[in-house]
Amino acid sequence: MSRVELGPVGVYHRVVVYLLFAILLLPLIGTLIYSISSSWSATILPSGFTFKWYLQLWSDPRFLGAFGQSLLVCVGSLLLSVVLILPLLFVVHYHFPKLDALMNILILLPFAVPPVVSSVGLLQLYGSGPFAMVGTPWILIGCYFTIALPFMYRAITNNLQAINLRDLMDAAQLLGASTWQAAFLVVLPNLRKGLMVALLLSFSFLFGEFVFANILVGTRYETLQVYLNNMRNSSGHFTSALVISYFFFVLVLTWAANILNKDKSE
Amino acid sequence: MSYVSVQHLQKNYSGTTVFSDINCEIQKGEFVTLLGPSGCGKSTLLRCIAGLTSVDGGKILLEGQDLVPLSPQKRGIGMVFQSYALFPNMTVEQNIAFGLRMQKVNTDDSQRRVAEVLKLVELNDFAARFPHQLSGGQCQRVALARSLVTRPRLLLLDEPLSALDARIRKHLREQIRQIQRELGLTTIFVTHDQEEALTMSDRIFLMNQGKIVQSGDAETLYTAPVDVFAAGFIGNYNLLDADSATRLLQRPINHRIAIRPEAIELSLNGQLDAQVRSHSLLGNVIRYRVEARGVELVVDVLNRSAADLHPDGQRLALSIDPAALCEVA
Repeated sequence: MSRVELGPVGVYHRVVVYLLFAILLLPLIGTLIYSISSSWSATILPSGFTFKWYLQLWSDPRFLGAFGQSLLVCVGSLLLSVVLILPLLFVVHYHFPKLDALMNILILLPFAVPPVVSSVGLLQLYGSGPFAMVGTPWILIGCYFTIALPFMYRAITNNLQAINLRDLMDAAQLLGASTWQAAFLVVLPNLRKGLMVALLLSFSFLFGEFVFANILVGTRYETLQVYLNNMRNSSGHFTSALVISYFFFVLVLTWAANILNKDKSE
Repeated sequence: MSYVSVQHLQKNYSGTTVFSDINCEIQKGEFVTLLGPSGCGKSTLLRCIAGLTSVDGGKILLEGQDLVPLSPQKRGIGMVFQSYALFPNMTVEQNIAFGLRMQKVNTDDSQRRVAEVLKLVELNDFAARFPHQLSGGQCQRVALARSLVTRPRLLLLDEPLSALDARIRKHLREQIRQIQRELGLTTIFVTHDQEEALTMSDRIFLMNQGKIVQSGDAETLYTAPVDVFAAGFIGNYNLLDADSATRLLQRPINHRIAIRPEAIELSLNGQLDAQVRSHSLLGNVIRYRVEARGVELVVDVLNRSAADLHPDGQRLALSIDPAALCEVA
């Protein structure tokens, strides 16, 4: 799909692309090198390379715990959002198409209120009383659900609009499928792409979330970003190794999801 | 007792009436077309028959059984959509087998029946393809096969050809008709294209604003429109009010009349009181705009040879077959 362009215009296009890549990658490359150097302070290049920071990191039970807890909270909130949002989307688009406009406003609310403000509200509401959840992972799962909502809703809506939901449902029902059968056998498999995109987007976003995690739960249920914050006074090499590990994990995950998401027929 | 009988069917949609009293009878094995402009209620009527839209009153009888209380799954009706509505995640074969799978037909039977209909629509070699690997015409043939494989009591076609290009459309039109005849399948076809309706149907129901304006075979509809709408929708009728008609025919006429453009003859012999205003070549037909006695008429003449062409401004004699004068309400 690439077009070969010659002359100054082509050069300009290339420069723009390379510049963008450089801006995005330079900090990462810097961090990567820092994380594998034994020490790098008064010299232009690091004085030696070592993997000891990674070894130290990956053998720290506190890190592994935080990693697992981050994973658990993210997966938990994404599961919750899939279970709640998929049927919601289906109902909105199949039975009440007019609700879509309202939903589009509603899903922006989590973004309209800054996390620092809404976390204070959540602390008030769930700090005591019948729903005292502050300091437990449950409040994070609930809170992350609202953050994942817009990603999930938008991506799956686009997908739904592309597949002509109503005709597919009608056709399946006339062929004898019940509403449930039609939804599971015909509609759901065709939402796979949108769903995967939504899940990946929200996962990478939630995995790196710090403000809510720090204010609502903090060290009582330490997630990766909170752990990183608590480690800020230790060696910079160590925290760099942490950042690179985190980045690498998300990268591998994205890549794996892309492979799984490829159409068998293409 | 007719095979399908729609009685006093009524449908309102959020306060507005789509149609209030639709009645029609269809015989077994008939190919019937609902023809009308968009918004006339023809698609809604079809969806009511399929059970995809609820009705507010009236009955739909199929083989004497009232369909209204039945869910679409239980009606035994097949339908083909304008958008094909093929399941993108399934191959052609799986798409066609879907209805049989829902009926829990065993695998051997299912495979045999799928192969049969694939042969019927001439797509044997495409069984393993996915819908996005097919052309529009092929998609619609798969959709047709998918609705035939369950052996429906009634086949509904909702503008199945509208999304296809002209050449494919003509071919598929013939193929659908041929398959329908072969299977003796009672079929209701919805279209806004008069040519499709005239060429394919045993009978046409012409609809406008939620009413069946006229019904009859293609010839009746074409040669004897009952009102101004029918005359305006089918063919390219010249519609004249009483005054113009009186002037043109030089005898007192006190109702509106419609004249088909091919029922008027032009010649160079006789009283040359008409004049060619302009002409356009439609291929096998030349369409003239002619002014005669202050009345402008459209006249279609078979394009026999270039030598017969009348240039603009040419004075001509007009003769109108009295049998072709059609009185319309």
